[in-house]
Amino acid sequence: MSTEAKEYTLPPEVLEETVKASEELWKPIKKVKFRIYKYNPKKDYAPHWEEYELEVSKGMTILDALLEIKGEKDHTLGMRYSCRMGLCGSCAMMINGKQMLACQTRVIEAAGDGDVIELRPLENFPVTRDLATDFTSFFEKHKAVKPWIIRDEEELDNPTGPYKQTIEEYAKYYQFTDCIKCGACLSACPTAATDYEYLGPQALAQAYRYLVDSRDNGLDERIAVVDVAHGCWRCHFAGSCSDVCPRGVDPAQGIQLLKGLIIRRKFGFKPHKPTEALPAKIAKKKEQ
Amino acid sequence: MEEAREEFVEYYAKNMGGVLGWFKARVYTIERWLYGAHRITGILIVLFMLPHFYSTGWHPGLWGDFILGIIVTFHIANGIRLILAELGFVVGKPLLVKKPSQRPLSLEGSQRYLVALALLLFIVLAVIWAYYALIVQAATW
Amino acid sequence: MRESTVMFLHYITAILIAVTGLIHLLANNEPTIGPLIKENPVVYMGNMAIFLAALLYHAFNGVRVILIELVPDPCWTKWISWAVVIIGIATYVVGLQVLLVALGLV
Ligand code: SF4
Ligand code: SF4
Ligand code: FES
Repeated sequence: MSTEAKEYTLPPEVLEETVKASEELWKPIKKVKFRIYKYNPKKDYAPHWEEYELEVSKGMTILDALLEIKGEKDHTLGMRYSCRMGLCGSCAMMINGKQMLACQTRVIEAAGDGDVIELRPLENFPVTRDLATDFTSFFEKHKAVKPWIIRDEEELDNPTGPYKQTIEEYAKYYQFTDCIKCGACLSACPTAATDYEYLGPQALAQAYRYLVDSRDNGLDERIAVVDVAHGCWRCHFAGSCSDVCPRGVDPAQGIQLLKGLIIRRKFGFKPHKPTEALPAKIAKKKEQ
Repeated sequence: MEEAREEFVEYYAKNMGGVLGWFKARVYTIERWLYGAHRITGILIVLFMLPHFYSTGWHPGLWGDFILGIIVTFHIANGIRLILAELGFVVGKPLLVKKPSQRPLSLEGSQRYLVALALLLFIVLAVIWAYYALIVQAATW
Repeated sequence: MRESTVMFLHYITAILIAVTGLIHLLANNEPTIGPLIKENPVVYMGNMAIFLAALLYHAFNGVRVILIELVPDPCWTKWISWAVVIIGIATYVVGLQVLLVALGLV
């Protein structure tokens, strides 16, 4: 008996089909003109636009096209990307005037009937270079709402067991945990177009996510952060943040629920009693 | 020279939408239009209100009254929708299971019906007002 | 005041305006009910006082919201709020006085 691993191959008809499908996907079918915003604040006075023509295929995303342009036509093009699969939130930009992830948008779909694609850096974010923007204040706003479970220090230092959570309690905040911090929502928000102090949909949705977490014990502490002049009441439900969110986080819903919660809090309502940690003995028993 | 460049950088590198950014509604959903309209009608009502009681009972004339009424009815109808939505009544519940490209529930759930209702209420109120301002009122002028 | 209190009152006054504004409109223009309301100075004045207060609160708070979104500097935010409060109260006093004079009560 030989110990060599047997080489595995697809059945020929399946292989043929796969190859055909992938050829179909990557066959150039259209010429598309890319108008790209070029600006280096360290050198230029004002931004200018540059045009590149590219043969695109059905499966090509905007990010693929940008990489091809960067590799073959203009290596000075500045942009940011990392995962290429809509998970890291680096590549959000304005594609034909709307905030989208470059790696999740197909060129053919973005171009529609036309053949021009206009790429700009995210609005309401300072430009670092070309398509890359500065996220410093965005992350600071996220940090400002205390995006962590607030518990007694004493208790955290001497843990006795895990915190139990039912599926209903989990369902209250799960949707908001999908946020990848791509910044599309803050860029789309009309309030943020003038109000740079505004906390923004991302931070406020995260504030709600931690407020309704059954393990959290920081109700009033966190409300004091969001219930300020440039906090959640500067949202006027224009809904653009939810419209552009690539992860279905629906920050507008979170903010409206947050406002309702703050108003009810004024009349003595509390969303939940923070769950007690299970004593070590019971926890151990459950594990067994 | 360097100073001039800094002024440009101040403007372009900040990359803010500005006041025009409030009204950039073309690519977004209908709520963004309503937001812009709510803001503009609010400002117009304030502009009418001040002369109306600084010189008691001043009116902008027959057609002025008609237009003002339309503006106010829009602000009322949309305002009712906003009060309901902003206190978290019609925006739906957070989801536990999402579709691959999930559209937001706060916009495309029951809130869409509320938008339709608000627009309907606006039209009804506006028609009543138009009848009143242009026919009943005009007869007494 | 906490921002949530301010905005909660913004919603309450919105509802008040809708009710008292309708009465105001009827009193001045409706041929049958109008005179009945106008005859009773307590109802008319009471309605006017509430209407004016609610309207001014709602309007000036709306103006404040727009202004602090326009000029988000924290220092300006404070000054805008104070300016709006003072102008609002002054307008209320003037408005009530004008009303009393118009009714021939002063
Ligand atoms: S809420 Fe959505 S749009 Fe906003 S940062 Fe998170 S993933 Fe991006
Ligand atoms: S719903 Fe609120 S946070 Fe979202 S875009 Fe509109 S105003 Fe901004
Ligand atoms: S590259 Fe990571 S989200 Fe697009």
